[in-house]
Amino acid sequence: MAQDAPGAVGARLSPKLDEAGLIRAVQRGDQDAFEQLVRAYDQSVLRLAVNLLRSQEDARDVFQEAFLRVFRSIDSFRFDCSFHTWLYRIVTNICLDYLRKRKVRKEEPAVVDTPEGPLDRMNDFEEEAAHADPERNMWNRQLGQRIEGALGGLTPRERMVFELRHYQGLRLRNIGEILGTSEEAAKNCLFRATQKMRAGLGDFQ
Amino acid sequence: MNCESVTKLIPLYFYGELPPDDEDSLEQHLDACAACARQAESQRALSAALDRRATEPSAALLAECRHDLMRAIYRQEAPAMRRLQPPSRGGWNSGFAAWLPSLGAWRMPLGASALLALGFVAARLTAPGAAGSFSLAALTPDVVSSIRSVQPAHESAGAGEVQIVLDETRRRVVSGRLNDSNIQRLMLAAAHDENNPGVRWESVDLLRSHSDSTPVRELLLNRLAEDPNPGVRLKALDGLKAYTGDPEVRKVLARVLEDDDNPGVRIAAVDALTAHADDNMVGLLQGVVEKENNTYVRRRCVKALEDMNASAGTF
Repeated sequence: MAQDAPGAVGARLSPKLDEAGLIRAVQRGDQDAFEQLVRAYDQSVLRLAVNLLRSQEDARDVFQEAFLRVFRSIDSFRFDCSFHTWLYRIVTNICLDYLRKRKVRKEEPAVVDTPEGPLDRMNDFEEEAAHADPERNMWNRQLGQRIEGALGGLTPRERMVFELRHYQGLRLRNIGEILGTSEEAAKNCLFRATQKMRAGLGDFQ
Repeated sequence: MNCESVTKLIPLYFYGELPPDDEDSLEQHLDACAACARQAESQRALSAALDRRATEPSAALLAECRHDLMRAIYRQEAPAMRRLQPPSRGGWNSGFAAWLPSLGAWRMPLGASALLALGFVAARLTAPGAAGSFSLAALTPDVVSSIRSVQPAHESAGAGEVQIVLDETRRRVVSGRLNDSNIQRLMLAAAHDENNPGVRWESVDLLRSHSDSTPVRELLLNRLAEDPNPGVRLKALDGLKAYTGDPEVRKVLARVLEDDDNPGVRIAAVDALTAHADDNMVGLLQGVVEKENNTYVRRRCVKALEDMNASAGTF
């Protein structure tokens, strides 16, 4: 039953490329190396931001801010942890700021009102077949709405742990390292998140 | 293992985060306890529902993000060089400068200094005897006024008097030959007029026939990489066609092919690059074929690869 998420994070570096060598080259000022480093991780960073924030505009901002921070501060990277962990600390911090601001403003930008009811702008529940089946279409819409509502009920930290574990496929130990907490705390966070999600979805599951 | 502890462990079990011994114990409990088995099923259903929500960012969005990032880094390039350039190790001096061809020269903030340049040149043109070597065919003052404010005149003035403040823009017509350095400086400044793409387009269109001049060529490279208007970028690219064998020009063209958001510009970049096909292009074109979402651009790259007897795919 155990599963790893389909979108498991992995650097898309060719096996021939030594990441440490690449990072040292960037620190020496090799711009081509920086670009290679960005391209190894940028897809998973963007996926995280899009799934977490459900807004392409916000995801673009996070993407740019994160890699600009990497660009500005790569000198300070001392190989105390993996580059992936270091990068994800930056990305998750920025995303958490967005989620917290959104909580304060009580925004959920991905969900918009339409004449047919609330609609997730980014959802992919409307498969082609569903158009021919209004009942299924309606059920999918309602499910999507319930999922967004349930996710919206999580604290930013719970949301982040859940996203990193479920969608990004990271191990809880790694998630703890990224978020500056223990593996145990990450486990508890995941438990609370799944309990809330199950309660939120109720009979839709 | 009791029901309470199993409830807490189900999410960890589902995500494969339990040690093997705990996993065995939990599975034994699930076989014997229908209530906990229903919870495990509920966890699985939750996961299935959530999987349907997962969104994979489009290739176009990723390309836009990369493009925006590189633009932002271009803007930071000068301070970054100062910060990162080690005194004796080459570094950004060789790497970054190579990546951003002749950046120091052609990315200088001409746009910001456009007004200054215009003012400076215009002052020279209007100074007595400043005509110099070029012919000042016409210098026609034409004042355009707009009213900034209207108010009652000062108290000491007679009743019924008003004060009107006018803003005046003085228009002059200057003409001369394109190879004249003063005219060329005006044109280079005009090609950076950020408020008027029409003026930029006209300036680049006129200047492209003088791409043998280094400042003009640098301008064309700058406009090709930086201008927000695709029409201007295409004109700039057209002006560089005679230099498609130049390594710096090729680097910018490769960047444009990978990152420009306009398919027409990308197609023009493929054509310009293939005019001087070399082996280094194979990898670039294969990479574009793999990620390009525009059919025409992709076909053009495939055709270029076929013409080079290279495979369109990577293995």
